[in-house]
Amino acid sequence: MSDWTTHLLIAPVVVPMLAGAVMVLASDRWRWSPVPLGLASMLAQVVLAMLLLAAADQPAVRIYRLGNWPAEFGIVLALDRLSALMLALASVLGLAAFVFSLARWQRAGVHFHPLLQFQMLGLNGAFLTGDLFNLFVFFEVMLAASYGLALHGSGTARVRAGLHYIVVNLVASLLFLVGVSLVYGIAGTLNMADLAQRMRGIASEDRAVLEAGLAVLGIAFLVKAAMWPLGFWLTGTYSAASAPAAAILSLLSKVGIYAVLRLWLLLFGDDAGASVGFAGPWLVIGGLLTVAFGSIAVLASQNLSRMAGASVLVSSGTLLAAIGSGQVRVTGGALFYLASSVLAIGAFFLLIELVERGREVGADVLAVTREAFGTGEEEEDIDAPDEVGVAIPGTVAILGLSFMTCALLLAGLPPLSGFLAKFAILAPLFSAGAAVTPMSWALMAALILSGLATVIALVRSGIDVFWTTPHSAPPRVGLIEFAPIAMLLALCIALTAAAGPAMTYLDAAARSLHAPQDYVQGVMGVPDPEPRRAP
Amino acid sequence: MPDGIVLACLVGLPFVAAIVAGLLPTRARDTASMLAGAVALVCLGLVWSAYGTVSGGGVLRAELPWMPQLGLSIVLRMDGFAWLFAGLITGIGALVVLYARYYMSAEDPVPRFFSFLLAFMGAMTGLVLSGHLVQLALFWELTSFLSFLLIGYWHHTAAARDGARMALTITATGGLSLFAGVLVLGHIVGSYDLDVVLAAGDTIRDHPLYIVALILIVLGALTKSAQFPFHFWLPHAMAAPTPVSAYLHSATLVKAGVFLLARLWPVMAGTDAWAWTVGLAGLITMLIGAYIAIFQNDLKGLLAYSTISHLGLITLLLGLKSELALIAAIFHTMNHAAFKCSLFMAAGIIDHETGTRDIRRLSGLNGPMPFTARLALVAAAAMAGVPLLNGFISKEMFFAEALSATAPVHPLLNVLPLAAMLASAFSVVYSLRFIHGVFFGSPPTDLPRTPHEPATWMRFPVEILVLTCIMVGVLPAATVGPYLDIAARAVLGDATPYYSLAVWHGVNLPLLMSVVAMAAGVTIYLILQRRLREGMDGPPLIRHLDAQRLFERAMVTLSWRLARTLERIAGTRRLQPQLRLILIAAIVAGAGAAFVRGVGPGNLVPAPIDPVLALLWVVGAACALGAAWQAKFHRLAATILLGGVGLVVCVTFVWFSAPDLALTQLTVEIVTTVLLLLGLRWLPKRMQSSSAREPEVLGRTRRLRDLAIATAAGGCMAMLAYVVMTRTPPELLAQHFLARAYLEGGGTNVVNVILVDFRGFDTLGEIFVVGVVALTTFALLRRFRPAADSVELPEQQRDQLEADEARHARDDGRHVADWLLVPFTLTRLLFPVMLVAAAFLLLRGHDLPGGGFSAGMVVAIAIILQYIVGGTEWTEDRLSLLRPPAWIGTGLLLAAGTGVAAWAFGLPFMTSYFSYADLPVLGKVPMASALIFDIGVFVLVVGATLLMLIALAHQSVRGRRSTPRTLPQAKASPRVADAVGGGG
Repeated sequence: MSDWTTHLLIAPVVVPMLAGAVMVLASDRWRWSPVPLGLASMLAQVVLAMLLLAAADQPAVRIYRLGNWPAEFGIVLALDRLSALMLALASVLGLAAFVFSLARWQRAGVHFHPLLQFQMLGLNGAFLTGDLFNLFVFFEVMLAASYGLALHGSGTARVRAGLHYIVVNLVASLLFLVGVSLVYGIAGTLNMADLAQRMRGIASEDRAVLEAGLAVLGIAFLVKAAMWPLGFWLTGTYSAASAPAAAILSLLSKVGIYAVLRLWLLLFGDDAGASVGFAGPWLVIGGLLTVAFGSIAVLASQNLSRMAGASVLVSSGTLLAAIGSGQVRVTGGALFYLASSVLAIGAFFLLIELVERGREVGADVLAVTREAFGTGEEEEDIDAPDEVGVAIPGTVAILGLSFMTCALLLAGLPPLSGFLAKFAILAPLFSAGAAVTPMSWALMAALILSGLATVIALVRSGIDVFWTTPHSAPPRVGLIEFAPIAMLLALCIALTAAAGPAMTYLDAAARSLHAPQDYVQGVMGVPDPEPRRAP
Repeated sequence: MPDGIVLACLVGLPFVAAIVAGLLPTRARDTASMLAGAVALVCLGLVWSAYGTVSGGGVLRAELPWMPQLGLSIVLRMDGFAWLFAGLITGIGALVVLYARYYMSAEDPVPRFFSFLLAFMGAMTGLVLSGHLVQLALFWELTSFLSFLLIGYWHHTAAARDGARMALTITATGGLSLFAGVLVLGHIVGSYDLDVVLAAGDTIRDHPLYIVALILIVLGALTKSAQFPFHFWLPHAMAAPTPVSAYLHSATLVKAGVFLLARLWPVMAGTDAWAWTVGLAGLITMLIGAYIAIFQNDLKGLLAYSTISHLGLITLLLGLKSELALIAAIFHTMNHAAFKCSLFMAAGIIDHETGTRDIRRLSGLNGPMPFTARLALVAAAAMAGVPLLNGFISKEMFFAEALSATAPVHPLLNVLPLAAMLASAFSVVYSLRFIHGVFFGSPPTDLPRTPHEPATWMRFPVEILVLTCIMVGVLPAATVGPYLDIAARAVLGDATPYYSLAVWHGVNLPLLMSVVAMAAGVTIYLILQRRLREGMDGPPLIRHLDAQRLFERAMVTLSWRLARTLERIAGTRRLQPQLRLILIAAIVAGAGAAFVRGVGPGNLVPAPIDPVLALLWVVGAACALGAAWQAKFHRLAATILLGGVGLVVCVTFVWFSAPDLALTQLTVEIVTTVLLLLGLRWLPKRMQSSSAREPEVLGRTRRLRDLAIATAAGGCMAMLAYVVMTRTPPELLAQHFLARAYLEGGGTNVVNVILVDFRGFDTLGEIFVVGVVALTTFALLRRFRPAADSVELPEQQRDQLEADEARHARDDGRHVADWLLVPFTLTRLLFPVMLVAAAFLLLRGHDLPGGGFSAGMVVAIAIILQYIVGGTEWTEDRLSLLRPPAWIGTGLLLAAGTGVAAWAFGLPFMTSYFSYADLPVLGKVPMASALIFDIGVFVLVVGATLLMLIALAHQSVRGRRSTPRTLPQAKASPRVADAVGGGG
C-alpha cells in the first residue's frame, strides 16, 4: 500500500471533501471567492476520473482499504469499470454545472459552492464504495447536498417541490436502513462482495428474510431511480430546481440505477444459489411501465423543464428494463445508453434555462391550442405574401442547433449516440440465434415508441420556441453558460464517433458485472494487512 | 481514385460544405449558391467516374467498422442501382441549386437554405449508398430530419411550420418502424450487411418473422413515399420554397421509399403478403392521388397530388410479382424525376413572375411568357404520357404489366388494367388543367405582378430537364437504355429478363389503352373545365375527408389530451399519494418476498417479559400512537409525545447496557425537540377549507385506509424484526470488533472505536451529512418568509408586552426577564459545568462511554439553554465565538485531515495511530489519532447544531423587524447578523 498511486482511488472522495470543507470555513473567515478552489477541485476530479477510467480497464477490481482494516470487517472502496464510468460521468457533469453556475446561479443563494462539492463527494463515494452501509452513508451525503441544491434559489415552486423531494427521500432512506439491517441480521456482513459469496450458503429458512431485506432495499433504490409508481416526485422537483442543480440531480436518479445494477447483478448472479435472478421480471415490468409513463409525461408536459424531467423517467425506465433482462450484452448496451443519456439530459437541463430566458409564461400551452384549433390564418392563402425567410440571430441559431442535438440524443434518433445506444440495447436482443421473447418485443416497442413520443413533444416545443414566437431580442447568453452545454454535447458526439472503443470498454464492464466472481475475489481475496501492534 | 475516397467524398463533401455554408454571412447568396453548385457538380463528377466500374456489373465498396461488437459498420456500397440514384440526386441537385440561386430573394438569408440543402443531399446520397441496413435507417431518419428543416425554412408562416411538423411526424414514425424492421431482418439473416441480406432471400421469406419484418419495413417505405394512408403530409410539404419541392418530389425524399422497396425487392418480394401490402397501397394511392390532383387550385398542390399518384404507380409496379414491373418502376422513377422537377420549377417561375399560384386566377400566360409556356407544355405532356416523351414509354410498360401481371388475387387482376387506365386518364385531366388553365385563355388580369419571362439562367435547369424528357421519349434505347440496364441488373442480377425500350411496339393492347385513356382524359377535362375554372371546393365525394385536419385532431387528442388524462390517472403531483404508494410498494416487496419463500420465527426463545420494561414500552407505544394521532392538528402535543417515545427508547438502551447509545439518544432527543419546537411557531395554521371541499365520509375513508397502510407497515416491520432477532446471529462483525478494539484500535470502548476507527469512514460521511443539513437549513431559512397567519405575535408574547406597557416605567421584555430570573441565573452557572462535562465526555470517549458526538451535543444543549432563558440577543452578545460556519468547516477539516494524515506515513486514508504519552501531572495518557478525529466530530456537531438553532431563532428576530407596530425594535447586533449572514 506504499505506492502513492493506490491512493488515487480515494482521491475523488477526498478532493471534494477538503475543497468543500475549506469553502465552508473560508466563507466565514475570509472574504475570498470560492470559485478558483471550486474550479480546481472540479478539474482535479475530471482528471482523476480519467486516470481511474484508464486504470480500471483491467479484469481485476482495485480495492482500497479504509483505515487499513481487512475487508471482512473494515470498509473497502472498490474500483471496476462501472464505478470508473460513473465517476467520469459525475465529474464531467459536475464541471459543467459548476461552470454554468458561475454566470448567475451561484449568487442565487448561500453556500452553493460547498453544497456542490459535497454533492460530488456523495456521488463519488457512492460509486466507489464496496460496503452496503457505507453506500447508505454516501447516499445520505449525496441526498443532503441535493436537498440544498434543489432548494437553491428559493421561490415558492422550488420550496414546495424541494420539500416533497426531501420527504420522499427520507422515507426512501428509512427503507434503505431497514433493508440493510435485515441483510446484516441474516448474512452478518455489510461488505457487498462478502455478501455475494455468502448468498449461496444462506439456509433456506433464512433466505426469505434476506430476500425481504434486499427487496426493501431495492424499493429504496427504485424510489431514487424513479420507477413507476415510485417516481412521481421526480418531474416536479427537477423541473423546479435551478438549471445547474437540475443537471446534477438528473445524475442522482442514475445512482439508483447504479445501485440496482451493481447489487442485483452481484447478489443475484449465477452464484446466488436459490436466489438467482430474484425479481428480474419485476425490474423489466417496472422499467417498461416507467418508460410508458415517462413517455406520456413527456407528451403531457406544458413546459420544457417538465419535459426534461419526464425524459429522466424514460431514461430510467429504459435502463431498468434493459438491466432486468439479465443478458450480458444488453447490459453493455444499457451502459452505453446510460452514458449517452446522462450527458444529453444534463446538457438539456442547462440548455432549457437559456432557451426559456425571456420567454412569456404559458407560451407552450398556447402552442398546443394553436395546433388544435388552427392558427386563425387563412388556409386558402396561396399567394403567400412573405416568401422571404427570416434571418435567425447567431445566439438563437446556436441555441437552436444545440436544441436539435439534444432532441436527437434524447429521442434516440440517428445519427447520434442516443440512436447507437438504443441499437446497442436492441441488437443483442435480436441478434441471430437469440430467442426473441415477448420481453424483447416489449422492450423494442418501449424504446421506439418512447423515442417517437419524445420527438413529437420536442418538435412541438422546438417549433414553438424557435420558429413561432421569434425572439424580438435574442436572449443574452454568456460564453460561460454555453461552454458547458457545448462540452456535454461534444462528448456525446465523441461517444458517437468512438462508439466502437467505448462499446469494447462497456462490454467488458458488463461482462465483469455478470461474472461477479472477479469482483468478489478482488475484494475478499487479497491478503489481510499485517495486524497492528498491541499497545 | 480508390473506391473508399470516391464514396466518402460523395457522402462527406455535402456535409462539410453544409457546415461551411452555415458559417457564411447572412446575405452571401452568390457565395453560398456557388459553393452548393460546385459541390453538387463535383459529386456528379464523382458519380460519373464510377461509371466504368458499375457498368461492368462491378460494385464500389468501402467499409469502416463503427461498433464491430454489434456488427455495425459504415458500409458505402455503390452498385448500378445506387449509382443511378446517386446520379439523379447530384445531377438534379445541381440544377436545383442553380434554380434556387435565382428563385430565392436577395433579402433571404439563403446560406442557411443552402446549408440545409447540401446536408440533405449528403444524407440522401448516404441513404442510396448504404451497404448496411442500420446505416440505411440512420440516413433515412436524417433525410426526414433535414427535410423537416427545409420544409420549415420559411418558418414565419404557419403553413411551413405545420407542414414541416407533419412531414417529420409521419416520416420519422416510418423511419422508426423501418429501424425496427431492420432489427428483425438482422435477426433473421444474422447480419445487417446488404450483400449478406441480398443473398439470403429464401431464408428471409421462409422465416416465421418474415411477415413482421415486412410490415415494419413496408410501413417505413410507405410513409416516406407518401402512400395511402400516409399520403397527406406531402401536399403540405409544398410550403417549402419551390426549389425544395422540386428536389423532394423528383429525385429525393419521396423516392427513398420506392428506392428501399426496389432495393429489398429481390429478397422480400414475391410473396402474397408483399403483393397485398405494397401493391394495394400503390393502387389506392395512384387513384386517389390522381383524382384529388384534378381539383387542386394551387399549382403546387396539383403537382404534389400528381406526385403521390405517380409514386403510387411505381409502388404498384413494385408490388407486382414481375421482374419487368420492377424495371418499369425504375424507369418510371427516372422519368418522373425529370418531368416533375421541371414542372415544379415552371410552377415556381410562374409564382415568381406573377405573384400567385392560383390556377383560377391565372390564364393566358402564353402571351407574356411564351418560352416558359412551351417548356411547361412539354413537361406536362410527359406527365400525361403523350407519345414521343419519356412518360409515355414507362406508361406503356406499366399498361403491359397491368395486363400480364400474375398477382395472387384474380379480382385484383381484373381491376388492374381498368385502374391503370383510369389513373392515366386522370393524369391527362390534371396535366391539361395545368397547361390550359395557366397558359391559355384570356390574357391575365388582376395579377399581383405583371408577368414576364424569367432570368435566362433560372429557365436553364427547366430546359435541360425538358430536353431530357424529349430525348428519352424519342430515343429511349440510345439515351437512357444503358443506365436503366445497369440499375436493373444490379437489382435483379441474372434474373434480369429481356425487355425492349422503344417508342413503337406496334398496335397492341397497351397502345389501345393509352389512346382510350387519353381520349377519356380530354373528355373529362372538357366536361369539368367550367366548374374547375370557377373553383370547386375540394374534390367531390371525399371533400370532407380532410386528412390534415384528421391528423391534427388525432395528434392533439392522442399526444396531448389523452396523454394529459393518462398522466393524471397514472400519476400524481401530490405528496401524500406518492408516499402511500412508496409504503405500499415497500410492504408488498418486503412481505411478498418473505411470504413467497415462507418465513417463520427462529429457534431462539425470547427471554421472559420483564413487567417494568413492558410497562415502559406500553408508555412508549402510547406516546407514539398519540403523536401520530395528534400530528395533524396538535403539533405541539405531537412533538412532546415524540419526546416521550425518545425517552423510552433511551431508557431501553440503558436497560440493555448500551450507555453510548443512551447518551447519544438523550442528547439528540433534547436538541431535536427544541429545534422542532422553535420551528412549530412558523408552521401555517390548520387548513379550514378541507372539510368544505369533500364530504366527511371521504375524509374518514381516507384516514381509515391510511391507518390500514400504517398498521400493515408497522406490523410487517415488527414481524421481520422478530424473525431476525429470534435467529441465532450469524458470524457477525461484532466478534472482530470485540477482539481487535483494544489490541489494534487502542480503545476499550468498542462502540467508540467502531465509530472513529473501524468504520470511521462512515462517521466521516455522516458528519458531512450533518454539516450539509445545517448549511441547507440555514440557506433555506435565510429566504424564509412566514405564512401570513403566523406573522402575528403569539398570544403569550402579546400578554407579556401588554404587561410591560401597563407599567410605563419598565422596558419592554422586562416582564419575561423577571419571570425567568431564577432559571436564568441557574443556567448561567450551569454553563461552565456543562462545558467541563463535555470535555470529559470527549476525552474519555475512546475508552469509556462518551465521544465527540455526545460531547458536541452537550455543548449545544448548554448554549441552547442560554438561548432559552437569555434570549437570542443576550446570548449572542456574550458568545462572540458563535460563528457556526467556521466551526463546521474546522470540524470537517479536522476529521478529514486526520484521514489524510495517514498518507504521510504511506498508509491508507483513515489509518489510525495510537500510543501512550507520559504527561506531567496527568501521568500516562492514551494518545490516539482517533482523538483528533473525534475532536473534529465534536466541533462539527457544535457548529451544525448552532447554525440550525440560529437559523430558527433569528426568524423571530426578523419577524419582529417586519412587524414593528406590535413590538419594540430589536437591536440585532451587527456582529450576529454578520455571523449568520456570513455564508453569503
